Amino acid sequence: MIVVVGVSHREAPLAVRERLAVDKDSVAGLLKSLADGATVREALCVSTCNRTEVYAVAKSSNENDVRSAQNRVVDVLERFAEANGAGGIVPYLVTHSGKTAVRHLFRVASSLDSLVIGEPQILGQVKDAFDTAKIAGTLGHYLERAMSRAFHVAKRVRTETDVGAGQVSVASVAVDLARQIFGDLGGHTALLLGAGEMAEGAAKLLVKCGAKLSVVNRSPERGAELARDFGGAARPWEHLPQALAQADVVVASTSAKHFIVTRELAAHAIKVRKGKSLFFIDIAVPRDVDPAVNDLDNVYVYDIDNLSDIVAQSMDGRKKEAERAEALVGHEAETFESWSEARNVTGTIVALRAKVRASFDTELDKTLSGRLKHLPEPDRQALGRMVEAAVNKLLHTPVSRIKAMAKDPRGDDFVQTVHELFDLPELPRDVGALEGAPEVETETMTETQSVPAPERETIGR
Amino acid sequence: MTMLAELVFIGTVLAYFAATALFFQFLAKPSASPGAARLAPRVLGLAALLHMGYVLLASFATNVCPVKSIHFVASIAAGVAAGLYLGLRRFARIDALGAFVAPVALTFVLGSRFVGAPDHVAFGGLLAVHVTVNVLGDALFLLASGAAVLYLVEERRLKEKRPASLFGALPPLDALDLAEHRLLLIGFPMLTIGIITGTVWAHRIESGSPAETARALFAYATWLLIGSVLVLRTVLGWRGRRAAYFTIAGFMCAVAVLVVYLVRGPVGGAT
Repeated sequence: MIVVVGVSHREAPLAVRERLAVDKDSVAGLLKSLADGATVREALCVSTCNRTEVYAVAKSSNENDVRSAQNRVVDVLERFAEANGAGGIVPYLVTHSGKTAVRHLFRVASSLDSLVIGEPQILGQVKDAFDTAKIAGTLGHYLERAMSRAFHVAKRVRTETDVGAGQVSVASVAVDLARQIFGDLGGHTALLLGAGEMAEGAAKLLVKCGAKLSVVNRSPERGAELARDFGGAARPWEHLPQALAQADVVVASTSAKHFIVTRELAAHAIKVRKGKSLFFIDIAVPRDVDPAVNDLDNVYVYDIDNLSDIVAQSMDGRKKEAERAEALVGHEAETFESWSEARNVTGTIVALRAKVRASFDTELDKTLSGRLKHLPEPDRQALGRMVEAAVNKLLHTPVSRIKAMAKDPRGDDFVQTVHELFDLPELPRDVGALEGAPEVETETMTETQSVPAPERETIGR
Repeated sequence: MTMLAELVFIGTVLAYFAATALFFQFLAKPSASPGAARLAPRVLGLAALLHMGYVLLASFATNVCPVKSIHFVASIAAGVAAGLYLGLRRFARIDALGAFVAPVALTFVLGSRFVGAPDHVAFGGLLAVHVTVNVLGDALFLLASGAAVLYLVEERRLKEKRPASLFGALPPLDALDLAEHRLLLIGFPMLTIGIITGTVWAHRIESGSPAETARALFAYATWLLIGSVLVLRTVLGWRGRRAAYFTIAGFMCAVAVLVVYLVRGPVGGAT
């Protein structure tokens, strides 16, 4: 069963989210420490400026196993935050499991849980998380299928609804704000501090509006490359104080763990500028600009939450489309859950069929080698087909009932009873152990009217 | 003549009122009010024309030279401010300032009409210069303080990241700051001349009444505050909020001078 543990813009302010920001280099280590194979079998981490969430697969759907998996993820995340010098994240952590976890995953991938509903970046970020987990070796069959389905749902939402139409981006809002302060941006200087993707978008727009671009980056090569791309000038990292004093708009997006622009640094810049306005667009998580800088006269600091809030206000007209997308996601989550539940009893059904078939085969062999040993081969084959049909007929109702039981909260107990009744071998019921087990015959599954048929052909990759 | 002046006065008040309403409608819902944005400056222009017409007619009707009466002078200052705004609004990108100028002009017109009794004073050449530069100076300070008020509103909104329907309708912060600075730069020499001529006049009449002293103190405070804004901006980079507060304080002192005149009337002339 899938569990989700994490923080997002819905529950946690930026100051909390940045304590849990996992950079690209740390994700693999975090995932490996999570997926111990015992309580957590598979793990994946989505870390963006608006959320850090771990998607994990518990050992089984047993309540205790699910709780153990959740506790393990919470512990690892807490330790991670403490290692970054900041604890106290637990009250902000939100957990989901089972159907709600799947639905949450689909909503995240479809950008329905984003601060800016319909924004296109999140799908790419989820795909990156998927690739990272795959390389780290913490993805298994179950999570892989869930992610694959999530990408499919995201694609459907994008193509079948207009939830992503007429986007107002964070970058365009940042430029609008710059215009509110400076008016015409022609002749003003924009300083690009760091080289995040969103920052590049903002820089592109600023340059388009006539601003001169200056780039300060820890990596001189990357800084020079960016400056070349936008027709700006690269400056060494050590020149940051001077570059700040000469800039009007600063777009910050470094991956630094601590504030790059402190109150003192900004105060010095504003003194050198003789009080001219200075606008900081801080897109980094953790933040690059100390929020106290906003208290200085003629200095304005907007972080990712501030910008996203403004963008979100432009989304009111898209509510109807979002409702359609939510219905679509809900339907897909139900379908996945049906597949998942059916998958949980597959081992039992396979064992039951094998047991019954083996009994019939034994008796048939006895008869064919005894009283009916004179029967020619075509008649023997006809008898074999008759036994096959009889097995299917006999097991049709029990298989249907077992699948229906899987939907019940007490499903595990029911399945255990079936095992005891028919003296079936104790199958390990965790997801990983079922990998490679033969699937229940499609014919048998689809004949069942009371259980929704899982869309196996579309779930697979 | 008196009846005609009265009718034009009512027309002036109504036009200023309509311009105020249109400016506020535009600021409240800028995207939904393109008509208000176009109409508001035109109505304000009509109000300013009617205003000048009223001053002319009323001065004939009462046989009082407009610049010889403090009531007319206060009224003219508001009309001149409206005219200056209409001339500068595109150049200085201060369109939204109309929402400040129109109601203040309305207040001045009504205040100069109904507060205190119309006066008629002995008047020399020195005092003519004094009154004229003060009228222009007050009009410029009115516009500057309007820009300062809008600056403070917009600056607070941006600092607190508050969404507002005014978003996009107010001029950019730097444009407001620059407009305020330029208006003060032009107005300050006029104020200085006004202070000098007023001091000479006050010395001549040797009145020394409390009202006279209060007027002089408020006038010197205005000069000191506006002068400080200009000097500190150049020397220490005092821009934005601090400059705005000083400008508004300076304008309030200038208004206090006019209020003392309006309430008590001049003693032998104007300072």
